[in-house]
Amino acid sequence: MRVILMLIKKEFLQVFRNPLLMSILIVAPLVQFLLFPFTADYEIKHINIAFIDHDRSSTSQDIIKKFLGSPYFITHGILPSNDHAQALMLRDEIDFTLEFPVDFEKDLVNQQKTEIAITANAINSVKAGIGTAYVQNVIAEYMNELMAVSKPDQGSQAQILATNVYWFNEQMNYKNLIVPGILVILVTLIGAYVTALNIVREKELGTIEQINVTPIKRWQFIVGKMIPFWILGMAEFIIGLILMKLVFGITVQGSIVLLLGITAIYLLAMLGLGFFISSVSENQLQAMFIVFFLFIVFVLLSGLFTPTEGMPDWAIKLNYLNPLSFYMDVIKIIVLKGGVLQDVKIQIIALSCMAVIIDTAAILSYQENSK
Amino acid sequence: MQAVVVDHINKCYADKVAALRDVSFTVNQGEIFGLVGPDGAGKTSLFNIMTTLLFADTGTVTLLDNDVENDYKKVRSIIGYLPGVFSLYPDLTVEENLRFFATMYKSSLKDNMPIIRPIWGQLSPFKTRKAGKLSGGMKQKLALCCALIHKPEILFLDEPTTGVDPVSRKEFWDILKSIQKQNITVVVSTPYMDEATRCDRIALIQNGEIIKIDPPVKIVKEFNGTLYSIRVKQIFETLDVMERCPIDSNFYPYGEYVHVVFYDKDTTTIKERFAAFLNENGVEYTDMEEIAPSIEDCFIELMERRDGVQY
Repeated sequence: MRVILMLIKKEFLQVFRNPLLMSILIVAPLVQFLLFPFTADYEIKHINIAFIDHDRSSTSQDIIKKFLGSPYFITHGILPSNDHAQALMLRDEIDFTLEFPVDFEKDLVNQQKTEIAITANAINSVKAGIGTAYVQNVIAEYMNELMAVSKPDQGSQAQILATNVYWFNEQMNYKNLIVPGILVILVTLIGAYVTALNIVREKELGTIEQINVTPIKRWQFIVGKMIPFWILGMAEFIIGLILMKLVFGITVQGSIVLLLGITAIYLLAMLGLGFFISSVSENQLQAMFIVFFLFIVFVLLSGLFTPTEGMPDWAIKLNYLNPLSFYMDVIKIIVLKGGVLQDVKIQIIALSCMAVIIDTAAILSYQENSK
Repeated sequence: MQAVVVDHINKCYADKVAALRDVSFTVNQGEIFGLVGPDGAGKTSLFNIMTTLLFADTGTVTLLDNDVENDYKKVRSIIGYLPGVFSLYPDLTVEENLRFFATMYKSSLKDNMPIIRPIWGQLSPFKTRKAGKLSGGMKQKLALCCALIHKPEILFLDEPTTGVDPVSRKEFWDILKSIQKQNITVVVSTPYMDEATRCDRIALIQNGEIIKIDPPVKIVKEFNGTLYSIRVKQIFETLDVMERCPIDSNFYPYGEYVHVVFYDKDTTTIKERFAAFLNENGVEYTDMEEIAPSIEDCFIELMERRDGVQY
């Protein structure tokens, strides 16, 4: 016991004396929470739009006015020609052009088919897609109004209007998804990254050999490494929860105790992963590359940035091996939905199994002496 | 009981180069035993095997009747190891390092103070300094303290004085002598021949093979030949000329001198014959005299005899 306490004490002494590590531990969550959610925002605002009006009718003018009134669009006036529009788009000054054909109004009045051309700069496909939908909305709205005015006798006919209610995230606030996601990233990084780098550093310094010639047992060394970083990981998670509440007003809907409990299990798996990576790496550079590689794969598969439902079948299956994905589910279910133990049963079982397997591999891979 | 019994150790690394070839020796309790050999001779591999860090391919090592592979737990509690490179925590202070390793050995600073007192006396002014900020000599003393803190029965030191200044080297050896007085067996390796004479017995190791084990005095006494030292103006030209020397001899540069070993049995006329040879070939020299061999001369001679390579 005295040995393990000493190992833990030593680890904390080293952490608190390492200015770089300390600043990572303190600055990382702050930067991630205060910067990331604002940059990774799916909501599209300030769409630059210009018009090419070959019709110059009151209808086309009315539609253009609709855009002037919308908070999502910045209008850049009516352009003389297509070439002009293309040049502006090339310089990234406009994102969309709306082109009214000749006789637009006339065709409309005569109930002929007519077309408005929407041209989008699709370098950013998300912006182009969402922006097109906005533009279509504005036009559809105008058309509905037009119908109501021109054929008041048909106003009584039944209309189906779909209205949306977004559950668990009523304002469709993107931050509600991204902020808990950052919490996941934070815990993962502390768990795997810091542990792996720490142990590899001992290899580089040769201190691990010096420890290996002492009679301490393998499990003592491993426990002595895991406990300090487990505590650090939990501390970071709690800091994250507090920041989440203070900065974004997101409160945990479900049980905090349950959330902490599952985080504890998840951290055990990540610590084991860090330990395992350190056993197979010769130096900090190698360890960093391995962590970086795994981290990118885990995050992309996890559904933090893209919905998992859109992934191909094999990727969805691959996610069963991705601890980050299960943990991400847990965070979404407990933080946003207020889920209870019953709702995260599968995730708990999966994460526990992973923790056991990864930690076993870590212990077995740690060699006190070599062939 | 022997402190260390190394029995027919063989070790081959992945690149198929034999690092150790059939190495056997014993170390008596309370002895200072030196492993002397050039870089790459296999000293560190041998140390890693003796200190349970590396397994040998074949052969056994027993330390006070404990096998290093099967009883490695027990072995670890009775040995102290000072590796060739400084490997303490640079971001912990002197005292914290010492307390840390004391605890790892389930020992305490207080209990074993008498053992480390002579070294601790010099270290204690720096006890709150971080280990990484110590001078080279002080680092080495701290490492020695950490290796001694649990009162080991056998102390292994892998090239403890490499890169240490001559004054600190002398101090370090004085410390080793005082450790020996506390009945601790010391196994030390060094590439410096002059240090070999401070050991009770030495093993000369080359290319993974032990070529001689004896007390240094005996090795010097058994020197096989007559050794002359000559001072010449142009060392390398002289060496070229001596290739043609008809007398059965061996020669090598030794600082600003050339050492010549004659195997010729007729030692009375050798000086004149050699002087005549040098004069014939126009070699200018001063100070030709017969000298007693140093341990380095013996080592060179032994290596030479072993594989006929010019040193």
